[in-house]
Amino acid sequence: MSADEPVIETQGLVKMFGKFKALDGLDLSVAKGEVHGFLGPNGAGKSTTIRVLLGLLKANGGTARLLGGDPWSDVVELHKRLAYVPGDVALWPSMSGGEAIDLLGSLRGGLDDARRAELVERFELDPTKRGRQYSKGNRQKVAIVAALASNVELLILDEPTSGLDPLMENVFQEVLGEAKDRGTTVLLSSHILSEVETLADRLSIIRAGKIVETGTLASMRGKARTTVHATMTRIPVATDLAGLHDVQLDGNKLAATVDANGIGDAMALLTPYGLEALTVAPPSLESLFLRLYENDADAVGTR
Amino acid sequence: MSAPVVGAPLLLRTSIKHEARSFAPWIAIATVLSASSVLVYPWVFPTEADREGLATLVGSNPALGLIFGPAFDVSTADGFNAWRTLALGGLLTALGAIFVVTKATRGQEDSGQAELLASGVLGRSSRLLTAVAMGLIMSIIVGIVAAVVTLLCGGGTEATLLLCATYTATGWMGTGFAAVTSQLGAEARASSSMAVGVMGVLFILRGFTYSVEAADWALWINPLAWMTETKPAVENNWWPLWLAVALTLVLLVVAFALQARRDFGQGAIAPAPGPARGRARTPLALALKLNRGTLIVWATGFAVLGVVFGYFTTAITDLLAGDSGIGQVLASGAQSPADVFGAFVATVVNLIGIFASIACVQIILRVRKEEMDDRVEPLIATPTSRARYYASNVVVAMGAAVAFLVIAGVIVAGFASSADIGVTYGQAFGQALATIPAVWTVIAVAVAVVGARPKVSIAAWAGVLLSFGLTLLGPTFGLDDWVLAISPFYHVPAVATSTVEWAGLGVVFLVGAALVTVGFAGFRRRDLATT
Ligand SMILES: Nc1ncnc2c1ncn2[C@@H]1O[C@H](COP(=O)(O)OP(=O)(O)OP(=O)(O)O)[C@@H](O)[C@H]1O
Ligand SMILES: [Mg+2]
Repeated sequence: MSADEPVIETQGLVKMFGKFKALDGLDLSVAKGEVHGFLGPNGAGKSTTIRVLLGLLKANGGTARLLGGDPWSDVVELHKRLAYVPGDVALWPSMSGGEAIDLLGSLRGGLDDARRAELVERFELDPTKRGRQYSKGNRQKVAIVAALASNVELLILDEPTSGLDPLMENVFQEVLGEAKDRGTTVLLSSHILSEVETLADRLSIIRAGKIVETGTLASMRGKARTTVHATMTRIPVATDLAGLHDVQLDGNKLAATVDANGIGDAMALLTPYGLEALTVAPPSLESLFLRLYENDADAVGTR
Repeated sequence: MSAPVVGAPLLLRTSIKHEARSFAPWIAIATVLSASSVLVYPWVFPTEADREGLATLVGSNPALGLIFGPAFDVSTADGFNAWRTLALGGLLTALGAIFVVTKATRGQEDSGQAELLASGVLGRSSRLLTAVAMGLIMSIIVGIVAAVVTLLCGGGTEATLLLCATYTATGWMGTGFAAVTSQLGAEARASSSMAVGVMGVLFILRGFTYSVEAADWALWINPLAWMTETKPAVENNWWPLWLAVALTLVLLVVAFALQARRDFGQGAIAPAPGPARGRARTPLALALKLNRGTLIVWATGFAVLGVVFGYFTTAITDLLAGDSGIGQVLASGAQSPADVFGAFVATVVNLIGIFASIACVQIILRVRKEEMDDRVEPLIATPTSRARYYASNVVVAMGAAVAFLVIAGVIVAGFASSADIGVTYGQAFGQALATIPAVWTVIAVAVAVVGARPKVSIAAWAGVLLSFGLTLLGPTFGLDDWVLAISPFYHVPAVATSTVEWAGLGVVFLVGAALVTVGFAGFRRRDLATT
């Protein structure tokens, strides 16, 4: 694998479950050393993509490359270089968390004992409880510790923090930051926008089995519209406001959205009416994703 | 309606709607067992002479009695049916009830389903009441369906009704045991294993006490022997059924008392904290660890089975002395005593082999359960190849088969060689070793099913079912040799007889190897179950 070849690359990936097309021509690319956010509504196909990348499911069409190899046929070689955290961790009822960590670590070719101890400490995990006695968040921690305690090139994380409390969420973000500093590539599927905002260099958004948007957060923000709230001394005529979107006029109060590169024009348009108060808010992450997740085709940007 | 059982009727209705399908196999097996007996009997044994021949055959192989209990009278279709199905039909109904009850109680708690239910408007005891009702209802349906179909096939009225009532009664007792063990085990599996274990012990003891003609009290302390004492088609005693009803009631009272004190999702036996560091670091170590409890219990079981069956071989000469069946065979000179006893030891060891295959098929089916519970996924996501993961479990199952047969074989051989029946220690122990390839092949059926066609994982039992049916029932039905030869145990040579033929065993081994190959190829190629 050459230095600039993507760590993960899929082209036109298709996965059918019977007649249902869970992945419908998925193109995903994750570069070396980046944390790649993987977002999308429930049932969009995130976990399915990850399972294909792990060689747990066999794709029906398209190609997938992982760390320069084929995820289906080169399983053993590839899995020596990656670690995985599922979104819903099932532990062995008769085994303690510590035993599960050691088992998974040993199967992966050994753990960094010092880092294992440190992670157990930082995540405040009691390793002597048995499978069913762990709470949801603590089960999740077992899998996170097992994955992060081994030295791997690639981490594949499927909603790793579902169920973690905010304190532990912070610890997770710190720990993942350190992994990134070591040069680890991360594919991070998540529904927690702030987590993605903090950690991800780039992100891909999947909907109905297809990637609908990919890029840096800044570039996605650039394609979204800024919200403008203005109070004016004179009431504008609606027809004059053609350059604005989603206009809501309530007396002399105006709410509207403008394209990211149209803020100047909007100011020029509104100033003649005598601005009394003005707020210009960059698009919130929530609104950005809500639009991307929605089903209509004319969401943000071009498809 | 009193508070603790609020919502039970509604829950029962929905549960039955969803679970009715799981009743079907148990209803079907008991019905087929019973109806086929009366249907086939007049064809296979049309004349008086044939029927006497059957009595001789049954009498001359007392090992059969260990499973089927005593043959009071096999000269009528109903008597034959009672001998052939009373023990098995009841046991199977009880097993069905145990699985239904355990699934509706602890199974639901383990999967989290029960939490959703318990948070609804539902009294504390409603879920247990529903589970118990399902077990009781299923047993009743088994009895009714089996009775109706058997009557239509020409069964005698009273004998058939009584026989099928014993199925239901045994199912009720199984429900009672399962209701109690569901309150004890740490999880669903432990709970059902306990109940199945109790049933298994009672079953073997019944066969043993009848076969060695033990004292009466030994019969009356065994609830399964109560069922045999109804003697359908011979004496038609109905009153022992009341004992079963009474026992069921007592067990249910105990179960409800225990469940009132039990915490949700936990058994009375709480697990201690585990070690902070783990020692199981390979798939093989994991497979051993996960199956350790079951392996120990089964190994103990096989030691006990070795003693029971071994003791039985020492009793055989006495048993046969007064028995006309074997006397005739010996007197006619058709077979030498060595051949008869050699064949007898082979039958006993075959039985042990079939039990061993039940235990080992369970180990293979556990792989599917682990997969469905999402516990295989994280393992396969490590550099462990699918083949290595699967192989670890297959090795444990195959190794367990060897261990079980060696344990039972050592003990049986000890008894047999001291029994003065012309069988040496080496021959009897060799018999146990010679049975291993047959057991492996039965396991291989499960390996193929779980590996290649996991959706029909129930088919993993096909090998056990065929072996059991053909080895034990085939000869009494006068089936052709080529049909009997489908059972791998048919090819196990009787080591202590004069005609020892090893070639068949080689074929059995090759078939097993082919099935294992199919299983591994399938496991490597298919999608892992996802939820
Ligand atoms: N084994 C399966 N059989 C049939 N359909 C499946 C199977 N596994 C997944 N699907 C379907 O494929 C689609 C994608 O599922 P997937 O689990 O990948 O979604 P996801 O993006 O991970 O969703 P979430 O955010 O809820 O985790 C869903 O519609 C799901 O119902
Ligand atoms: Mg998912």
